[in-house]
Amino acid sequence: MVAGDRSGRARLAFAVLMVLLAVTAAASLGYGAADASAWRVLAGLFAPGGENGGLQALRQNIIIYEIRLPRVVLGILIGAALAVSGAVMQGLFRNPLADPGIVGVSAGAGLGAISVIVLGTTSLAPLVQWLGIYALPFAAFLGGLATTLLLYRVATRRGQTSIATMLLAGIALGAMAGAFSGVLVFWADDRQLRDLTFWGLGSLAGATWTKIAAAGPIIVAVLLTAPFLARGLNAMALGEATANHLGIPVQRLKNVAIVAVAAATGASVAVSGGIGFVGIVVPHLLRLLIGPDNRYLLPCSALLGASLLLIADAVSRTIVTPAELPIGIVTAAVGGPFFLWILLRRRGVIDL
Amino acid sequence: MIEANDVSVFIGKQCIVTGVDFKAPPGALAAVVGPNGSGKTTFLRSLTGELPYSGHIAINGAEVSALKPWRLAAMRAVLPQATNLSFPFTVREVVGLGLSSGRSGALAGEGARLPERALARVDLDGFAGRFYQELSGGEQQRVQLARVLCQVWAPVLEGVPRYLFLDEPVSSLDIKHQLIIMRIARDFAARGGGVIAILHDLNLTAMFADVVFVMHRGRLAAAGTPTEVLRDDIIARVFECDMKVGILPRGDMPFVLPQSAA
Repeated sequence: MVAGDRSGRARLAFAVLMVLLAVTAAASLGYGAADASAWRVLAGLFAPGGENGGLQALRQNIIIYEIRLPRVVLGILIGAALAVSGAVMQGLFRNPLADPGIVGVSAGAGLGAISVIVLGTTSLAPLVQWLGIYALPFAAFLGGLATTLLLYRVATRRGQTSIATMLLAGIALGAMAGAFSGVLVFWADDRQLRDLTFWGLGSLAGATWTKIAAAGPIIVAVLLTAPFLARGLNAMALGEATANHLGIPVQRLKNVAIVAVAAATGASVAVSGGIGFVGIVVPHLLRLLIGPDNRYLLPCSALLGASLLLIADAVSRTIVTPAELPIGIVTAAVGGPFFLWILLRRRGVIDL
Repeated sequence: MIEANDVSVFIGKQCIVTGVDFKAPPGALAAVVGPNGSGKTTFLRSLTGELPYSGHIAINGAEVSALKPWRLAAMRAVLPQATNLSFPFTVREVVGLGLSSGRSGALAGEGARLPERALARVDLDGFAGRFYQELSGGEQQRVQLARVLCQVWAPVLEGVPRYLFLDEPVSSLDIKHQLIIMRIARDFAARGGGVIAILHDLNLTAMFADVVFVMHRGRLAAAGTPTEVLRDDIIARVFECDMKVGILPRGDMPFVLPQSAA
């Protein structure tokens, strides 16, 4: 191995993370409140016309295909989207503490989503009619985009991003989005309030194929775009001017990165509410392991984010059985202290 | 050839560079000297395509402001005064970023080991596995030079000369490494590339430069060979201090000795 070259280790990590994701996905499929065996359903799939279990098999099929599988697929999509948008945002802001949840982008996306939930039957009805199931993710995307653009304008001056300004501006933007959201919640009727509360805590519980159809294409598009940003984001680590010297079209890179972050965050927030800290924990762990090279960091983040969210979902389903804890509580309970730990570790490096 | 005609640069409403004419041919080392705040860095940043300018700047005959970043990156590399890195990259990874434009011009066999070879040239053998952020300022500066060298490893690619822009490349280096870095720049020019360097040390300028451009308050105060430009009167006027320029008998090289301020 060449000294200082961590690409070999990164490729190994990628392979290991693929296996980890396969294992967690299989485990999530096979394990749940109801006693349904994914293995038997799969076996039935490959041996049709054989043993016919009748009603029992039908029930198992429904549990696997309509409850567990959408939940696993959604978990993978959301986990990957959150982790990748965190990593892209950190590269864009040249700052390991940037995360859509922390700097108000999720709050902005949430405002968009809440607007559709509350006003979808009245003033925003034309939008909902026009976009159908995409209205919610689209509104969340717009909210996230507006917040990211504002944040970038405020926190970046002459190609350098101030960490302190970014975090503080994020707090302000989050508070503003929260205030507007509060007004909407104030207007909401009882049924909407119930929807809002469960949505806001963050959960994969309501996973359906419809939700996947609404958010999935956007998330997949972002995940496919992300690798093309890697080289540019690497160069951005040296500053905007140097990235430009290295041949990166910086303005275009920033535009694409901002739209990608807003789209992935918007889509995730729209279908699963406020699941925090995945975007900061996952890339940070991976940087310790394989280094900050985005060519490996971005794909590995997608895999680890997906796995971690499935694990968090498993915890949220089992910790208070037979009830279910919203997954946002689990990720915040683990991610909050983790964020503090990063802050403490880097206190000397980051001059706040 | 890097050619600037009547170039002015504004930052905000302030005119930092006014009507500068400049010519740096391939095969030569052009030094830009002048007191702090005389507009050297701003001028260099307009030459590299980083700042908008009025007038004309051509690199190998093409207007700089009209070239896409990747086209520029294939023709020139830039060493900024200081670079702070936002993530814990290793030294080798930082140097490897120089290859990202994909036009290093290295021969087929040497491509993969280019970061190591570049590090060896700047006297950082064995530093590849260290973390950039843990190095001293002078070491970091040399790592950045190694990165820049990777970008334009071949001074001439497909018959087109390429250029190194160096903003105070030796400012935080000890004397040994100042000489190593200046020899790398000389060597780059000797093999057909062009070097444009902002320098503060007038004696290094006299030793290594083919042409010297003296900037003063955003304007070009003098231009010519070191012997033509490094004169008592010019130095005293531009740097506003009393200087005595002597001539070393070996090779007629001028040297500058500051006199007492009083």
